[in-house]
Parts: sequence; C-alpha cells; structure tokens
Amino acid sequence: MTRRAVRRSGLTMPVNTPRFVDRAWTRGCDYINLDLEDSVPEWRKPQARTLVRAAIGNVSKGRAEVFTRINHDYVQADLEAIVWPGLDRVNYPKAETADEIRKLDRIITSLERERGIRPGTVQIGANIETATGVVNGYEMASASPRIVDFGGGTGYDMSRDLGVEMFVGFDQFVYSRGELELAARVLGLEPTNTPFVANLTGSVSDTDRAFQEADAARKCGLRHGSGLHPNVVEPQIRGLTPPPEEVDDARRVLETYRRLVSEGKAWEEVDGRVVDKYEARRAGELLEWTEACAERDRDKAEAVARTKAAEEREEST
Amino acid sequence: MPRPERTLDFVRRSNLIVPLIDDVHLPSRAPGSDAWKSRPDAVTLDLEDGVPESRKAEARAMAREVIPRAAAGGSEVFLRVNPPYLHADLEAGIWEGVSGIVLPKVATAQDIAAAGDGLQELERRRGIRAGSLEIIVLLESALGVWNVREVVKASPRVTQVGLGERDICAGIGVFPSSGHDPLEFARGRLIIEATAAGVQPVGIAHPLGLVATDPGRDEVFRLATDGRNMGFKGVMCPYSSWVEPVNAALTPAPELVDYYTQVREVFAQAVAAGTAAVPFAGRMIDVPVDEWAKDVLRRAAACQARDDGKRRALEG
Repeated sequence: MTRRAVRRSGLTMPVNTPRFVDRAWTRGCDYINLDLEDSVPEWRKPQARTLVRAAIGNVSKGRAEVFTRINHDYVQADLEAIVWPGLDRVNYPKAETADEIRKLDRIITSLERERGIRPGTVQIGANIETATGVVNGYEMASASPRIVDFGGGTGYDMSRDLGVEMFVGFDQFVYSRGELELAARVLGLEPTNTPFVANLTGSVSDTDRAFQEADAARKCGLRHGSGLHPNVVEPQIRGLTPPPEEVDDARRVLETYRRLVSEGKAWEEVDGRVVDKYEARRAGELLEWTEACAERDRDKAEAVARTKAAEEREEST
Repeated sequence: MPRPERTLDFVRRSNLIVPLIDDVHLPSRAPGSDAWKSRPDAVTLDLEDGVPESRKAEARAMAREVIPRAAAGGSEVFLRVNPPYLHADLEAGIWEGVSGIVLPKVATAQDIAAAGDGLQELERRRGIRAGSLEIIVLLESALGVWNVREVVKASPRVTQVGLGERDICAGIGVFPSSGHDPLEFARGRLIIEATAAGVQPVGIAHPLGLVATDPGRDEVFRLATDGRNMGFKGVMCPYSSWVEPVNAALTPAPELVDYYTQVREVFAQAVAAGTAAVPFAGRMIDVPVDEWAKDVLRRAAACQARDDGKRRALEG
C-alpha cells in the first residue's frame, strides 16, 4: 500500500522571482508550488514559462515535491513548458468541469510519453474556486486517476465568484467546503480543506493563525496545508504533525487493545475512556501518519544538509 | 433575451412586498400605491399569503390600477401569485409595466414551466415583449431545496431565487429560535447553485428570514451585510423600514470604493514594474484582488445608476 503523501506545508511563489525561487529549498516545506498564474503578470508569462524546467531542479534541492500552477486559459502552452522530469504535480486553477480535467490528463499523458517520464507520474490538482466548480465537484474529482487529493471552494476567486468580501469573521464557505470534502471522502481522496479560522486582516504571514488553522485541521482529520509566506511553514508543519503527547497516548491505546485481544475482551474503560477496536484503529492511523511525517522530515533534513555541504565544497574550490 | 448576459450584474437590492388589499399597516385607498415612497428597487404586489382567501378576487381587481402607482418612484413592479390560482392571478395582474412574478412554493422544474407558459401567453396577448417577464422563485420546501439545480436552470426567465424560510421550517417540523440556525446548509446550497447558474440568490442572514418582526434599522443593516457576504444579492422586504438599510448594505460603501480605487492604482503600477503581487495596506494585492476591485467598482457604478434612475423617475 502506498503511503499517504505528506503535504503539510507548501509555498506558492511566482516562478519569475529569483529571490523566492533560489531560496525555496531552504524553507523546509513539503512542497513548492511554482506559479505561472496570478502572481505573474500577463506580459511576463511567456518568459516565466521558460524558467520552470530549471526551477524544478532548483527548488527540490531540499527534497520538497515540486508543483506548478498553470493558467486556466493557457493549458497547452503551460503544460508543454512544465511537464519535465521532477515535476510532481500540475495545479489547475478555476477548475469547473470534468472535461477540462480529462483534457489536462490527455495532454500530460502524451508529454510524459514524449519526455521519458514514467506514465502517471504527474498528478493533477484541481483547484475549485467557483460555484460551478463546487456544483461539478464530484464529477471532476473522479475524472482522472491523477487526482489524489481534492478540496477548495474558498479563497479570493471563490469570494469574487460569489460577490462577497473576505475576512468578515464568519464562515462563508460551509457548504462548498463540505460538498468538496464529501466528494473527496467518497472517492477515497485526501481532502485538502482547512477548517474555518477567522482571519480579519487578510495577513498571509501570521504565524499564530497558521498554527491554529493547522492544529484545527489535524483535529478534524485533515492533513493538508498551503501558504504564501515562509513564516507559516514551521507552524503549519508543527500543527499538522501529531504532538508527542498524542503519540504516547496512541501507543498506550494500542498496547491496551493488544492486551484486551489476548484476554478475549472487546473493550475496556481506562481512565474514564473506552478503548476498543475503533480507538485502536484511530491510534494506529495516528502512528502511521506520525511515522510518515518523521520520514519526510528526515528526508528533507538530509537533503538540505547534502546540498549545503556540496555548495560549501564548491565555494572552497 | 429576458435578461442581460451576466445576470448577476443587475441591481435589485430591496424588493418590498405589499398586499394588494387594504391593511391596518398600510391604510390607503389603493393598497400598495405608496410602496415606492421608501425607495425600494422593486415592489412586489402580493396576491398570495398577504391576502386572505375570501379577498383574493378583490385584490386581483386592484392590480391593474396599482401597478403604475407602485412604479411611480422608478421601482420595478412584480406580482406574487398563488400557484393554485396561477391563471386567474396572471390574467388579473400581468399588464404593461410589470417586470414579472414572484412564484412561491416552487418545488420542481415543472412548476417553472407552468408559470412560463402562462407568462408567454400573456406577453403575446397584451403586447409585452416576448420573453421579457421574469420569475423570482421562492423555494419553500425541502423538496424545493433539493431540486434547486433543476429549478434555476428551468427557464431563462428565472433571475432571482430565494428560500421561504418560514415555510421550510414549518414543513420539516423545525421550530426556529434565533440562537440556532437550522438553514445554514439550505442557504449555502441555494447560493452556490444559483450563482453557478447565473441566477441571483436573494435572502438575509439568520434569523431575519424567520422572524416576523421589525428588529430595527441597525439589525437589518447588519444581517443584510452578512447576507451580502454570504453571496445574497437582494432581500425580499416584509416592511418598508427594511428598504433603506437593505439598499445601504447591498451597495458598496464610499470608503470601500475609495480603497478599491487605490488598490487598482497600486496594482497597475506593480504590473508596469514587472510584478503581479504587491503589498498594500497590510494585504497582498494580486490578480484576484484586482479583479475583485473591478467587480466592486462596477457594482458601485451599477447601484449609482439604479439610484439615479429612481431619482429621475420621481423628478419626471
């Protein structure tokens, strides 16, 4: 069985801003999302496309996965510029129909073939940012095996589509978030939603809020994070990784349950709380997720150390 | 076409419902004639729940005379019909000067089709432009909420859709209190499905869809503002006192217009300098924010144009 991908934190950055791209590998996030869409002005898009191939190698030096966000209206040109070895995923904004997803899949499939990439490597992230996207959510999420996680239905574009101001202090997206999470769960995809945590300022670098949101997400069984500012990487990873006391608790639950099984019992009350097969399964999942996070963090730390050592050697010669 | 390309662009913030019979609250020789005085974007002359069964005929007989008076201040005029008496109501109430009907108790696409057939026939017989009469849909049952997708797509005449919150609650056996909102899901579904179909969702934040009292200007303004920030584009107003705060809440405030005018300037400068993401007043301004700024300014202009139109109607 393949392990669930660990994507607790990921920074989106314009691919044509070298000061962001060159330092991306030092940020410690699980993935980097190179942007060709909203953060790149229209007239610079042709030049930005030419930068993606090199940026893939550059930003993954710390073992972050590499995503690229393309433009809704320039699918062919953008995909030709970005589907190269090392690309893990194409993020497709303002996704609205299953046909759009199938078209994306076809183009990616032929580019993988032409460019010697193992078939099926490049995933598709369907960003749901309009009411139509929510309405067609389930169809879209089931339109390609390249879609492994799913969610959205919030954010600037969604707000614009509904004609609402953001940062108003109440949850404006209960329904769309719920619909999309339900579609994801039904299809066995990882939901990418985050629970509502009020953001009255629109700040993208608020570390306390980033932690609150990530912590709330983990408690809702959600594991996905994304951001725009390097400051939020650490609190997001901290919030979405099980804290030591929960890990210890899960171990105790499993031990207790093993003992119960060996004694022929189905459940027992321990310190005012029932331990049974459901609690044991929950504890098992938590430990698996903890291990996946730890493995991911080791991988990244080793890659960062290797890269730093190599760069120092280069400087000294 | 009965509506512009982008339906969501038209301005119908407040729609004041007045019964077509004399009422203790509206003592007047011709009921509904004074409705325009509170400056609603639309007036709905009610033949349905505001009129007791025994007085339906009397109310129908008033319609033709009242329509031009209700439009005196430049308000659009709608007619709320009784689905069981659809033909009699349309026959009595659809005349030149009416923009369309408010169709309550809608549960299926067939309900819309039936009303659409009736409107089409009257357009032909009374020299009203074909396809011009609109339908404002009220979903007033669980079935209606479930079928919202087929309902909003059933006819291009459908330009707005709202929930009959009190009817829904009665139908599902909920006795609402102001503390708990039983219709959060229904409202969310309505807004998403309507917006996706290019139909304006109308309504107001809880509990004003359920409470049959006038809570005062500030509360109406606050809950209409929350409603706008859920995606509602208009409010069916049961009291003339709601009209002013609803119009204000659904019109971009001057300070917002100033702010977004600056946003557009700052962003244009950033783009000229080669970046499409620039900090301004503590926020990151990028393409979606600029697009939203355009929307707000366009909406503000459209509201201004609507208000100017109403003013001219009074002066003329």
